[in-house]
Amino acid sequence: MNMAGLIDNLSRFLGAIGGFLTPMALFHMAWATLLGIVIGALPGLTATMGIALITTLTYKLPPDLAILVLICVYVGAIYGGSRTAILINIPGTPANAATTLDGFPLAMQGLAGRAMGVATSGSVLGSFIGMFFLATIAPLLGNYALKFQSFEFFWLSIFGIVISGHLTALEDPIKGWISGFLGLLVAMVGQEGIHAYERFTYGTTELLGGFSLIPAMVGAFGFAEVLSVMRHPPAKMAEAPRDSVFPRVRDVLQYWRTIIRSGLIGTLIGIIPGVGEDIGAWVSYAAARRKSKEREKFGKGSIEGLMAAETGNNAVVPGAIIPALTLAIPGSAPAAVLLAAMFIHGLRPGPLIMVESPQFVYQVVAMVFFATLAIFFYGVVLSKLLLKVLAIPKTRLMPIVFVLCAVGSYAITNRTFDIWVMIGFGILGYILREMKYPMAPLVLGIILGDLMDKNLRRGLVLTDGDLTPFFTRPICFVLWVITFSSILLSIPPIRHALKETFSIIQTRLRRIRK
Amino acid sequence: MPRADFITGLVLILFSFYVIIESWRMPRLEHLKIHPLSVPGIVPAFIGGVLLIFGLILTLRSIKRKGYRIKITAKELRQLLNHPGNQRLLLTAILSIGYAGFLIGNLSYGLATGLFIFLFITLFEWKQETMLKQRTKRLIMAIIIAVISSVAITLVFERLFLVTLP
Repeated sequence: MNMAGLIDNLSRFLGAIGGFLTPMALFHMAWATLLGIVIGALPGLTATMGIALITTLTYKLPPDLAILVLICVYVGAIYGGSRTAILINIPGTPANAATTLDGFPLAMQGLAGRAMGVATSGSVLGSFIGMFFLATIAPLLGNYALKFQSFEFFWLSIFGIVISGHLTALEDPIKGWISGFLGLLVAMVGQEGIHAYERFTYGTTELLGGFSLIPAMVGAFGFAEVLSVMRHPPAKMAEAPRDSVFPRVRDVLQYWRTIIRSGLIGTLIGIIPGVGEDIGAWVSYAAARRKSKEREKFGKGSIEGLMAAETGNNAVVPGAIIPALTLAIPGSAPAAVLLAAMFIHGLRPGPLIMVESPQFVYQVVAMVFFATLAIFFYGVVLSKLLLKVLAIPKTRLMPIVFVLCAVGSYAITNRTFDIWVMIGFGILGYILREMKYPMAPLVLGIILGDLMDKNLRRGLVLTDGDLTPFFTRPICFVLWVITFSSILLSIPPIRHALKETFSIIQTRLRRIRK
Repeated sequence: MPRADFITGLVLILFSFYVIIESWRMPRLEHLKIHPLSVPGIVPAFIGGVLLIFGLILTLRSIKRKGYRIKITAKELRQLLNHPGNQRLLLTAILSIGYAGFLIGNLSYGLATGLFIFLFITLFEWKQETMLKQRTKRLIMAIIIAVISSVAITLVFERLFLVTLP
């Protein structure tokens, strides 16, 4: 990018910042971030569920304010989950699972306030690092994606499903892949995009347009979660921290390397389709532990470990928005809802975004910026209110959440049918989750199904059935090699054989060096 | 888990066969002179094929881990039903599906929502107390929460955010 381009982009960003400095935008920012933090802090309410439910409230808002609200909820929820992880050892959202490892031991040592401060600084800096890459990578990727043809888009969708399936079900990748391909199959229902033939509709007019994404997501992440939360016994009560929750500059300066590393890892994980904040936190945590000089403290109350986890998960948020904006492929499950909301509001994310509405990319960067400032503000002032919210019994909260699930599903097209879709996906989602099938690839599949369908068929028609371009075009080559390697490496005999080969090579190399 | 995987694998195999057969039966649209590789059934058949492979792997793997030994005794079934977690799950499912699937549309939205919230709280919290005084207190609390929530949700969605309610 040349100097003029940089100045041009900077002025667009500053223009976007200025555009949101209105009382109405600031009001929406304030309530949405606060609600996001509360949703994140409450175990059982995840970021995905929160964004899916709040999307209902944004239908009548102007598009920029609607997306601002959803991004504030997203950033707030991922941060808010750290409070519960630190105070009661239960991650508020799956993204904060790694936070419990060191956050809770710190709270047990009477350092809950300091742990919250570390989580605040980690989350804020992680968001800023991710935001920097959102501002710099998204325009480049958007322009680069203009070169993509059907072959690339076909492989991108398969790549997304396979990698997301693998990374969200590391212990048993086949379950992640099944989940992803089931999602692709769900997307096949309804009128297909080339010849308008009705697939799997069996004469039902409601299914002509396929399953709407919002009711499906509200079911899989909302109703399924209500069922899951009610099945388990209530969580213990949280106690107020005795020390200050204000972030310490010393903690940031001491672990600046960890912060930058975790921010980079988080952003990168975010960019990978369908691999979300939880994986970002775990990978950042593992990397910090490997590189740490105080490795023995990890798991016993390490400030560095906590910083890595919280920086990593919040950096995923802007990272996950990058492919959503430029390729219309979400980087995480909450970003999938965000993408659906963008379509609902008439915005057209995808490779043409930098041609049609480059200003919108910078508006999104500005939204992340404001949401980050808001979590910093709430992180410092909010601690007693959150404890009160955490004290609400789930028997009183869950029926209200379910009422919102029903409204959220209905409101998009005013059809009772969508309420049944929500119930169906909720039951399916619950059963699949109980059997350790991840939900993110399912959602990604529902989104990518149409993309895969159109592009595979278009590609085959263009080449008259010749598969060669699908494998030989440079980007296709990289995508299929990674996709197939991921599958092959998850087959135990192949993995063992590769490990043995590497260890033999290593031993021989050592001998040669001696 | 091997037993669950065995059953899931079998279900997946049957389901993928169904998908492949349905895809095969989809029209080839020859009268429109379309390219044979752009027929509507090609991608669902591909997905069905992949799911069939996964189903086979899941089944074979679970057979290796002796997942085919499925024998549910009456005692096990009773234990399953008597498990407090499963009872809570069942009650939640019945109340939620009853509300969303049947109450909504047959009663006015505010009344249906209030009734659902009241029933949900009361049924779950009734057993937590044994004293009549405490139970009455919880009952009153359930009524207050139900009324406030249904009024607030109706007002916020319909008036503030202009969303149409069921």
